[in-house]
Amino acid sequence: MALALETTVPHWLPLGMLAPNLVLILAVDLGMKHHGALGAMLAFGMGYAIDSFSGTHLGLNAFMLTLIYVIAYGISRYLISTSTAIGVILVFIGAILTGLANSVGSVGLEATPATVGIFPRLALHGAVSALVTPLVFSIMGSGRRMVGLRARSVRE
Amino acid sequence: MRGTFLWRHRVVLTSGLLLLLALHLLSAGVAPGARAEKPSLALMWMLKPVQNLEANIADDTSGFFHDYFDLVNVRGENAELRKQVAVLEGQRTRLAELEVENRHLSDLLELRDALAMRAVAARVIGADATEQSRTLILSAGSRGGLRRDLPVVSTEGVVGKLIAVAPNVSRVLLINDHNSGLDAFDQRSRARGIIAGLLNGELTMKYVDRSEDVKPGDAVVTSGMDGIFPRGLLVGQVTRVSQEGPGLFLNVDIRPAANFRKLEQVLILTQQPPEIAPDFKG
Repeated sequence: MALALETTVPHWLPLGMLAPNLVLILAVDLGMKHHGALGAMLAFGMGYAIDSFSGTHLGLNAFMLTLIYVIAYGISRYLISTSTAIGVILVFIGAILTGLANSVGSVGLEATPATVGIFPRLALHGAVSALVTPLVFSIMGSGRRMVGLRARSVRE
Repeated sequence: MRGTFLWRHRVVLTSGLLLLLALHLLSAGVAPGARAEKPSLALMWMLKPVQNLEANIADDTSGFFHDYFDLVNVRGENAELRKQVAVLEGQRTRLAELEVENRHLSDLLELRDALAMRAVAARVIGADATEQSRTLILSAGSRGGLRRDLPVVSTEGVVGKLIAVAPNVSRVLLINDHNSGLDAFDQRSRARGIIAGLLNGELTMKYVDRSEDVKPGDAVVTSGMDGIFPRGLLVGQVTRVSQEGPGLFLNVDIRPAANFRKLEQVLILTQQPPEIAPDFKG
């Protein structure tokens, strides 16, 4: 659903960098609260799905989302914390990293004025995504409670 | 099973394998029609009904909400009257939407006749999920006779070319994407160059010799020499020409003729442009 929204809404409502990266927030949520092989597969699957609809490099978003999942997993496991604040910071950094990876995927490491000018836009995108993170986390939490799923967040 | 090394590190091991798989996909660079491309085409096919539904909702509601917000500011109207007006406005918006769609399709038909090429009309049902690349999702696919690398045009000008084709849905790489490139020339001065997108979504014309007389306001059209786009299609207009640094080429900024944000229907030319004999290539 997040992917369908992300691929449809931008065309009708040109928000540009103001549109949050919902799939990234879901990957961070998975990394922090679902410590199992299925979480990693879901993160990879979501990235692969984005690659199917976006960009020109199949595998780029699959790689980035799996990486962000692992980072979120590592942080929540070793800090023994699933605090929303950590999730917000992870989403902010993850959005910038994903944007940078997509830029590098497109233009390589070439330092053109357009490449340099992308940093403020990526920071804005990260900030918007981070802002909606608590809301998405709480919706995911409610959804999990409704279907009776247990969030596995600490050392098992 | 629990307590073994594999079980304790299952997340890291699975993630590592998946990261390697993603790297393999990236480094292999999926070739057209390759097996690795099939799951992504299947995903596009599966998600099409949802995108179609969302596109329909967006079509039906966008005009209605604009009108509704205007109505909210009008004081003194009673609730019943407002409701009736809203209903009528909704009907009017739907009719206007149908009329616009009708006009777009008529324009596309005229364009197809003018180009004298076989073409398929398709609806835009989605856009790229990442801000760094620029692609659109179309409502037609290989069942409609589409295949990779076919040129996509609108009544305003060149839009892009198809990069992925599933049975009932396809993806078009816009000409303002950084990975896009098409051969074009300035219609007035006949200066040739390569139209490429920039990371910020703007268009530039590369490799235009410094001695060429390119001026702002000139129309830029396809040359037909890339074997994808037929000759003479409008690409855009020159907005700025500069000669910075000691390079051999001019910096030529182009404003695309097509408004990619407002595209609703496009035409995919299914007939390849005729080959140009080597003697006539510039």
